[in-house]
Amino acid sequence: MDMNKPEYLAPETLEQAFEALKNNPDGAMIIAGGTDMVPRMRAGVFTPELLVDLRLLGLNEIRDEGEWISIGASATHTDILESDLLGENYPALIEAACDVAGPPIRNRGTLGGNLVNASPAADLATPLIAYDALAVISGKSGERDVPISRFFTGPGKTILEVGEILVAVKVPKPPARTVAKFTKLGKRKAMAIAVVSAAVRISLDDDGKISQARIGLGSVAPVPLRVQEAEEVLEGQKPDQELFAKAGQEASNGCSPITDLRSTGDYRKKMVAVLVRRALAEAWENLQAE
Amino acid sequence: MTEITLNFIVNGAAQEVTTSPATTLLSVLRDDLKLKSPKKACGQGDCGACVVLLDGKAVNSCLVLAAQAEGAEVLTIEGLADDGKLHPLQQNFIDNWAFQCGYCTSGMLMSVYGLLLENPKPTREEIKTAISGNLCRCTGYEEIIEAVEMTADELTKHLSN
Repeated sequence: MDMNKPEYLAPETLEQAFEALKNNPDGAMIIAGGTDMVPRMRAGVFTPELLVDLRLLGLNEIRDEGEWISIGASATHTDILESDLLGENYPALIEAACDVAGPPIRNRGTLGGNLVNASPAADLATPLIAYDALAVISGKSGERDVPISRFFTGPGKTILEVGEILVAVKVPKPPARTVAKFTKLGKRKAMAIAVVSAAVRISLDDDGKISQARIGLGSVAPVPLRVQEAEEVLEGQKPDQELFAKAGQEASNGCSPITDLRSTGDYRKKMVAVLVRRALAEAWENLQAE
Repeated sequence: MTEITLNFIVNGAAQEVTTSPATTLLSVLRDDLKLKSPKKACGQGDCGACVVLLDGKAVNSCLVLAAQAEGAEVLTIEGLADDGKLHPLQQNFIDNWAFQCGYCTSGMLMSVYGLLLENPKPTREEIKTAISGNLCRCTGYEEIIEAVEMTADELTKHLSN
């Protein structure tokens, strides 16, 4: 075998998982679908002494909780995109899940893995930012909820403390007259990691003005980014193409992407303005068609 | 290093394998069980040459740890033929020139077999989506898509007769 050989544990309760993490704070790592962990172990980026596998904890449930929908951290991308409950409430999340790699990865890769890996390009992060989702974090001392927009602290880094586990994501049901859209620019039609991605949501009040706007951007900052300045351009206004272009420009001003092997910083910055404008226009078109 | 004893079902038969838990399912299938159809290629989930069905779903076996397959049912090409008679999907791949070098074929077949299990009459777009995680350097994909369409036609006709 071409990677280090960690011990392996599949705990049957969260308490056992906490215990394992506590007893080996430096060497234990959590594994879920493994689609990212395994290649990184093989490349020697991760060299865990112990793998704690969440697969027996039943954390894959997608549950209607009235005001919220709770998505278990072990739900796979396939679970998400096949869920009618999620499809009815969060179409932009489904669009993002459909865009993650190909079916064999989507059948294994999990929501929790996509978020905890904390890639700035994580496809599920931006729609969850747009829908005001909360990360449900569990630890020995109890549970806490953190807005997804504050969950990421740097590339590969999250707010999770040693011994804590992301167990679910809770998404509020959107208000009436809400539309959202996820859009991604990649180098090929399938299997592409985003050059830039954007998720937008607008909710309208009775006068047809935008009461709430959310814009999340991927691959343009050290973390999936919420751009409040651009949201403020939209809020309180009646939607039109000019306004969308202005919000796109503001979103572009609000980020300073880097140049890497997938694209240049300059190109990304320009594309943010385009993607945000287009996503808003498409979302708006969908709302009018309803 | 603790070894684990893995019990699972491969192509319909119960198997017991003692291995290190971080060995991949791909290595167990190829090296322990001598099932050579899943291919080792990119090792990152990009190419799809190692795709097998795990509990009915297409997965990259190079990204699944052996320990994670405990209790699961695995299906590889070796389990498709029925008593020496090729599955219609295999026969249609042959008849339709749906492979040339053959390196992608095992994974490609399992991806589309998984599709047909869930969706016996897929559209062209659904077929394309199902193989979006499988790279083929030779065929240009058209013949593969046609072989799947042909199989879906045959199997649904067969069912309705």
